[in-house]
Amino acid sequence: MLARSRTPSLRTHHRLYSTGLTNTVRTFEKGNRWPGWEVVIGIEVHAQIKSRKKLFSHAWTPNLGSTPNSCVSPYDAAFPGTLPRLNPACISLALRTAIALRSDIQHRSAFDRKHYFYSDLPAGYQITQHYHPIARGGHIFLPQSDVSVRIEQIQLEQDTGKSMFDPRRRLLSIDLNRAGMGLMEIVSKPDLRSPEQAGEYVRTLQAVLRTIGASDGNMEQGSLRCDVNVSVNRPGQPPGTRCEIKNLNSVRFMIAAIGSEVYRQIAMLDTGTSVPQETRGFNEDTGETFTLRSKEGAPDYRYMPDPNLPPLFLTSGLISSVQEDMPALPDEIRERLVSHGLTQNEIDVLMAVDSGHEVGFDGRQGRGAVTYFEALLTNDRSSKTVINWIIHELLGQLALRKKVFRENPISLEQMGGLIDMVQSGLVTGSSGKLLLRHMLDNPSPAASTELARRLGLLATREDGLLEQLCVQAIANMPEEADAVRRGVPNVINKLLGRVMKSSKGTTNPQSVRKMLEKLLSPS
Amino acid sequence: MRRCLPGSLARRRLPSRSLTTSTAQTSWRIAVQNKNASVNALVYVAPDDAGTISEAVKDNICTKNMPTTCSSAMLRDFTSPFDATVVQLLNDSGATIIGKTNCDEFGMGSLNIHSVHGPVVNPYQHPASAMEWHVRERRSAGGSSGGSAAAVAAGMCDVALATDTGGSVRLPASYCGVVGLKPSYGLISRWGVVSFADSLDCVGIIGKNVASTSRVFDVLSKFDERDPTAARSSTREKAQELSSEQMAEGLSCSRDLTDLHIGIPQEYFPASLDSSIVSPFRRVVHALKTRGATVLPVSLPSTRYALSAYYVIASAEASSNLARYDGVQYGLHGTYALTADAFDNYFLQSQRLRQCIRDDFMRVFRVPNPLAESPARNEAGVHVLLHPSAVCTAPHLDEQDGLDAYTQDVLTVPASLAGLPALSVPIMAGAEGDGWPLGVSIVGQWGCEKMVLAVGAAIEDVELKRESLA
Repeated sequence: MLARSRTPSLRTHHRLYSTGLTNTVRTFEKGNRWPGWEVVIGIEVHAQIKSRKKLFSHAWTPNLGSTPNSCVSPYDAAFPGTLPRLNPACISLALRTAIALRSDIQHRSAFDRKHYFYSDLPAGYQITQHYHPIARGGHIFLPQSDVSVRIEQIQLEQDTGKSMFDPRRRLLSIDLNRAGMGLMEIVSKPDLRSPEQAGEYVRTLQAVLRTIGASDGNMEQGSLRCDVNVSVNRPGQPPGTRCEIKNLNSVRFMIAAIGSEVYRQIAMLDTGTSVPQETRGFNEDTGETFTLRSKEGAPDYRYMPDPNLPPLFLTSGLISSVQEDMPALPDEIRERLVSHGLTQNEIDVLMAVDSGHEVGFDGRQGRGAVTYFEALLTNDRSSKTVINWIIHELLGQLALRKKVFRENPISLEQMGGLIDMVQSGLVTGSSGKLLLRHMLDNPSPAASTELARRLGLLATREDGLLEQLCVQAIANMPEEADAVRRGVPNVINKLLGRVMKSSKGTTNPQSVRKMLEKLLSPS
Repeated sequence: MRRCLPGSLARRRLPSRSLTTSTAQTSWRIAVQNKNASVNALVYVAPDDAGTISEAVKDNICTKNMPTTCSSAMLRDFTSPFDATVVQLLNDSGATIIGKTNCDEFGMGSLNIHSVHGPVVNPYQHPASAMEWHVRERRSAGGSSGGSAAAVAAGMCDVALATDTGGSVRLPASYCGVVGLKPSYGLISRWGVVSFADSLDCVGIIGKNVASTSRVFDVLSKFDERDPTAARSSTREKAQELSSEQMAEGLSCSRDLTDLHIGIPQEYFPASLDSSIVSPFRRVVHALKTRGATVLPVSLPSTRYALSAYYVIASAEASSNLARYDGVQYGLHGTYALTADAFDNYFLQSQRLRQCIRDDFMRVFRVPNPLAESPARNEAGVHVLLHPSAVCTAPHLDEQDGLDAYTQDVLTVPASLAGLPALSVPIMAGAEGDGWPLGVSIVGQWGCEKMVLAVGAAIEDVELKRESLA
């Protein structure tokens, strides 16, 4: 049954605040940007669920480059006679999100139809969980602001299609690729106090969603979108009337929009005008917000329980199996990497690789940089050596080739083999780097030792050959050899360089030095 | 206008070549050729035939090789890219789908007069009539599945698929003198059935007799993962178990009905019920008693709320389902019941009444509810309920002033709201009526189709015996 009488969540924000249901971290920002004013912000984040398939159909979810209308099933296009079919992968990913945000998973949630009429919504309604969300409550900690932000609820819903207007041809094009993709709407309580905190909230949430593989969380590509509620009030006074700013598609614009909206509301209140409750847009060119519709113009969505979708019952067994498969959260990963002896700087670099996309579609454990690093910590390899190879060589060379980590063709076995060969002196450091570049440019399944052999990069280890090269060098550089024999320091390096050059770098400098010292020792 | 003119659209769609093929002119094809122009039951006729059983499909059920217009101008040129699950199952069973049947637009109506293809004219003619069949009395075939019932009654097909949201199978079956089954909600897949009101819509079967209806029901009653409201196999098995436990007591043969308890719901004899229907109904009840059945009066007190609850729920769901066709043009001129102010008083109130109606049924049945967590047993309960299918015989098409389409459904909507199986079986008219077909409805516990069909077969047998005596 639909609890129709419930006021929509966001409308309860300010009420909750004023009735004192507040936590201890809710200190107002005391900057001098807005002297004598307090700012209250709540955010609704719409995150596309990272599933291969849509929320209620078996159509593939589109990639960035998908041809318009190529990922559309008859259901997505609202063909007569089609019915929804819930994709369990979307449920699991929403549950991961709920667990990560310490939200209270509801054993019973339900789907409603929200009616509105727009050409990119083919059925004339969107299926959403507004009244009976999959999870309620929860919080997320923002380390920089040192603030814990409470979560109101997490709900599942369908994404809409996209409409593009071509003013030259006066043509409205509809692309239904996105129609029916799963979305999570994550609603915060009005716990944010400045545009910068709002920015940190979105970035922190992005990091969490990416780490657990629930969403790509990419604002520029539209897989994460924000609506922001802003109000201002005098200290000690109840919160002011809020305005909602819709469709902000980057953190930078969101911060700018909030700032501009705060100034606008303060200016109105300063002149004795009250702020009308309304929905506003943000003009990226002027940096100002503008009216989209007033409260009176707010549509009646005529919510109705979806008669095709029975309530969603989640058993404790399912919830605990999601919990078991849960990838580590950013804080936990950080802690683990510290225990491996990495520096903060190295951790930051490693975790930022491919924006932290460690997990694949439908929550499958992927091959992100952190996983790659940790998988290489076997065979007594030191974490320092491994992290140096990854950060300085592998990531550097990938960047040089304008490739992302996901495109790394070097398997764990190949990388491990390469590191081991260098460590054991089987190839020299410089040969190792050469081999890595070769493997990046010529992907091959062959083992790295085999590749080193084929390329003639194996270090010249046979003492006979090494001795021969050293004897040759001594013969060619008699003056230097004499100087070494007399104990003049550093001259041995000239001989060493000669040997390295004649061996084309395949000799191990340490072995060469030892051999030269042996040959030139006064005994 | 004496003759019913099928919509120009319908005539255009009847391929003339199929009507002149002489090689394999089966009886149904001859019936289509001779009668469809007058009855307007079929709005599309398939060009080929190969199977042994001929079946027609209501035009709101998707077929990829034939148009699916739902009798609406909105879908005038629509052919679905896929077959409905029920169409697939029919094809797999070796049936020939001979065409698509006329209906009220999107299944909304009780007389099959709201159709872009024009109304369906009941093929029945009183045996005493001296008129030629083609100029017979013009009466409604009932709706919304009028085309399906009329096609079966006219011999154009053996069985027709239809849909029933509030009586759309049982009412036309009663008016046309054929058998109509509305199965339990969730037993037959709705994938490919164009939604009117999803929580009520059921695919139904209209047949010449109980046996052919039952055969097709067995073909179609399969779990389908494409229908999110489809009953799971475990639920089906549970229903089967609970039903057969009770079936064993009696009903092994239609001649001996000892141990069968039939309830007559008192609320199903409203003032609007035509008095000429009561005595044939009594006669059937008496015949069943003679064969050993125990007949008991029962009360379903919430019945009086059924029609109001039904119309709020059905129109709310319909307004939502139809948004895809015209929402952008018409916007929110939809159902008042879903507006923020009216939602509690109308929609939620109707859902509560729906539950009361369901509870009423559950109180009187002997077979425990298989959908309940812990089904309660009621040794004093009845196996099935029996009541007239309609309050009158087929209404005249040309005198529509007196027709209130809403009240036509008064006896059929309670079973729809409760999701229960209901079967309308034709019975012989009494001397005091107009001589047009009548039907009685047998309503059973959820999943008790076998039991409902067995009682239907018993009534069919009673009527056959009587006919042979006459």
